[in-house]
Amino acid sequence: MKSLRVIYGIARADFLERVRRNSYLVTLLFTVYLGYAAGTGRISLRLGDYRGMYTSAWIGIMISLVTTTFVSLVGFYIVKNAVDRDRQTGVGQILSATPLTKASYFLGKFLSNFAVLSSVVLLLAVGAVAMQFLAAEDRAFHPGALLLPFFLLTLPAMAVTAAMALLFETFRFLRGGFGNVVWFFTWTFGLALSAITKLPQLDPFGIWTAYKSMAPAARATIPGYVDGFSLTVADKSAKIATNFHWNGVDWTAEAVLLRLAWVAMAVALTLIGAYFFDRFDPAELPAQSGAKRSAKGFTVAPEAASALATTSVPPRTAVPIQLSPLIGGAQHSGALRILIAEIKLALKGYRWWWYAVAGGLVIAQFASPLEASRGPLLAAAWIWPILIWSTLGTRESRFGTQQLLFSCARILSRQFPAAWMAGVVVALLTGIGAGVRLALAGQRIGLIAWAAGVLFIPSLALALGVWSGTSKFFEGFYVALWYVGPLNRVAGLDFTGSAPTPQAARYALIYLSLAAILLIAAFFRRARQLRGT
Amino acid sequence: MKLVIENVSKTYRGKVEALRNFSLELGPGVLGLLGPNGAGKSTLMRILATITQPSAGRVLWNGTDIKQNPDALRTVLGYLPQDFGIYPNLSATEFLEYLAAVKGLDAATARNRISELLELVNLVDAARRPLGGFSGGMRQRVGIAQALLNDPKLLIVDEPTAGLDPEERVRFRNLLSELSGERIVILSTHIVSDVEAVATDIALVAQGQLVVHGAPEDLLARVNGKVWEVVVPSSELVALRQRFLVSNTAHRNDGVHARVVSDSAPGPGARTLEPSLEDAYLAALATHRSSGGAAAAGAAR
Repeated sequence: MKSLRVIYGIARADFLERVRRNSYLVTLLFTVYLGYAAGTGRISLRLGDYRGMYTSAWIGIMISLVTTTFVSLVGFYIVKNAVDRDRQTGVGQILSATPLTKASYFLGKFLSNFAVLSSVVLLLAVGAVAMQFLAAEDRAFHPGALLLPFFLLTLPAMAVTAAMALLFETFRFLRGGFGNVVWFFTWTFGLALSAITKLPQLDPFGIWTAYKSMAPAARATIPGYVDGFSLTVADKSAKIATNFHWNGVDWTAEAVLLRLAWVAMAVALTLIGAYFFDRFDPAELPAQSGAKRSAKGFTVAPEAASALATTSVPPRTAVPIQLSPLIGGAQHSGALRILIAEIKLALKGYRWWWYAVAGGLVIAQFASPLEASRGPLLAAAWIWPILIWSTLGTRESRFGTQQLLFSCARILSRQFPAAWMAGVVVALLTGIGAGVRLALAGQRIGLIAWAAGVLFIPSLALALGVWSGTSKFFEGFYVALWYVGPLNRVAGLDFTGSAPTPQAARYALIYLSLAAILLIAAFFRRARQLRGT
Repeated sequence: MKLVIENVSKTYRGKVEALRNFSLELGPGVLGLLGPNGAGKSTLMRILATITQPSAGRVLWNGTDIKQNPDALRTVLGYLPQDFGIYPNLSATEFLEYLAAVKGLDAATARNRISELLELVNLVDAARRPLGGFSGGMRQRVGIAQALLNDPKLLIVDEPTAGLDPEERVRFRNLLSELSGERIVILSTHIVSDVEAVATDIALVAQGQLVVHGAPEDLLARVNGKVWEVVVPSSELVALRQRFLVSNTAHRNDGVHARVVSDSAPGPGARTLEPSLEDAYLAALATHRSSGGAAAAGAAR
């Protein structure tokens, strides 16, 4: 009983802390947009070329699948800071000195994560009810058919997402930007898992459950329908299958148990995370030298480091106090100096193998056929430095150096452009092979598209970083964009111009314009930050 | 060289008034800014460091409004915030090189300056180690070094000795004294002995208002002949505290030796003592509180 009270206490405090932050408003805005996109057909469920009438069952399954799919991706980034916040604020040190067990702590955080994600689901479920009445394609309202998918498909998926976020926070190598990138691929794998294995037991998102229920009805009523089940984005061309009659998933005891098993799985994942959780103990750091540890991006808590660090500095008392005055003009160094400083800062901490891979990709761009060079190789080269770009605009808030920097002169005219230029230089150098190949081949439009990519990536990173104050948004958004654009070559989303399509010039200009808009947006936000509040 | 703070007020969201009509005029020297927690000292520091803007009033640096032209001050400003971060992957030298570049120092000047500063803050031996492994005191010394990078004309240090060991604290105090000759130094702290050691001027802040501004000797003069030592049995200490402002106590064989600030003798056998700055500080605060915090700031000179 006492443990339950503790778990509830942790969950409640964490939930309240989160929903009272401004970032929760962004979460709600995302939810509203998702509901709007689904309600207006921008995101829709398809059976081949068809969609069903907007009955309770169709709207219920469609909105719940949209929610499951997109909220499990974005929601992960939203909730993946429950433990980190306690680590950063120092609350963790206080908690670790109490009798609180790791399991209670993690279960409390899990419930808080789940509650935040559930609040999004609740909003979308209410939106789904409204949608049926607004669309008015079918006025027969069946609350069970509409709402049960939210409870049995979406909420278990949210539980898994909530637990995975905690699990990622447990392991040091998954805590930061690398984990954010890994989640995207984990999520993609999770989506495809049931389709690959055709096993209802391996269906965390409930997509296979929905498909298995709808496909037979579709085959029976939709002429020519054989297979095909998808969520489509920005394609409103679906035909309405007026004869398609489907009353929703038949929630047998087995089907319900299969879904509830995912909730049990989420709890199990949480407890696994709790088992490996370091309980904010800095001594859990790997036994390495300070230099090596730092090179991996690990930091040592001051308390732990003090004993080592201070004892090695011999005490001195008789050092005379003497500072040479600065002569006039010493404080007007060129822009190149600060650019070099920003580049060094951006690249600091990466090991030799990082540079080896980046260098290898550049060599491959030079050595491969042009199509491969500007396509998959450039795509690989421009995902590799993602963690460098994601620090643009966020480094100051992440490391708490705002006050030091923002009290310096000419930050907007010197440091801000230098930080952006450092990002541009990284894009330029990592993609130089494809750029040179395009220039040598006389592919003017391809070269412009490549240049647009060079400018667009750091501009996007800087804008998202400065506006959000966290690197997570860029890491999540950029990986998704990179996956559908440069990697899968979805027209309009390929910001690298990886293929010589007729619309390449138009898209290159769009991305150049976007780069300018994003840079201006970042500039104004940073100017506002500099003005203070 | 003059810093003028004119009727500055700062109201945060939620209508929390951190500063109210704060005015002060400063020339070269060390100003010790004293006040209890939540008095508004850090808010004032942040306004002077151009990190945040006042809700009303203005701050003039040599006649230039720093809200209109913050860079006029920023180029000559050294600022050590109460809480600041570092980049854990950089060494102390690299971090200072980075900030030197941000502050616009040319490479040769930066190199010499950083070398001197590392010597000054006693970090030469740790200069090439990543900051992530530094102790709190060592980080604080890096903070002190960065504040001095550009040879600032206005040096603002907020709780600079927090986390420093006694030896380093003495070094830093001496450094501030040395630096104060041709610049304005504003030292905000809770540690009265730090202020006592280096301040040429003292400003006492409470509830967002300036309570007293003057030279340390002027403040001490206010309590001259009003600091007493009285010996009472332990059982009477609570009653004594209720009647008088007790600034210190020490248990001895003959009872509790209480240090009392009072206009009149607190009891039979009481003898006057040489006042300390702490006595003056507590007396001024008590007077401010008893007047409801609304009393106008009384300039001691």
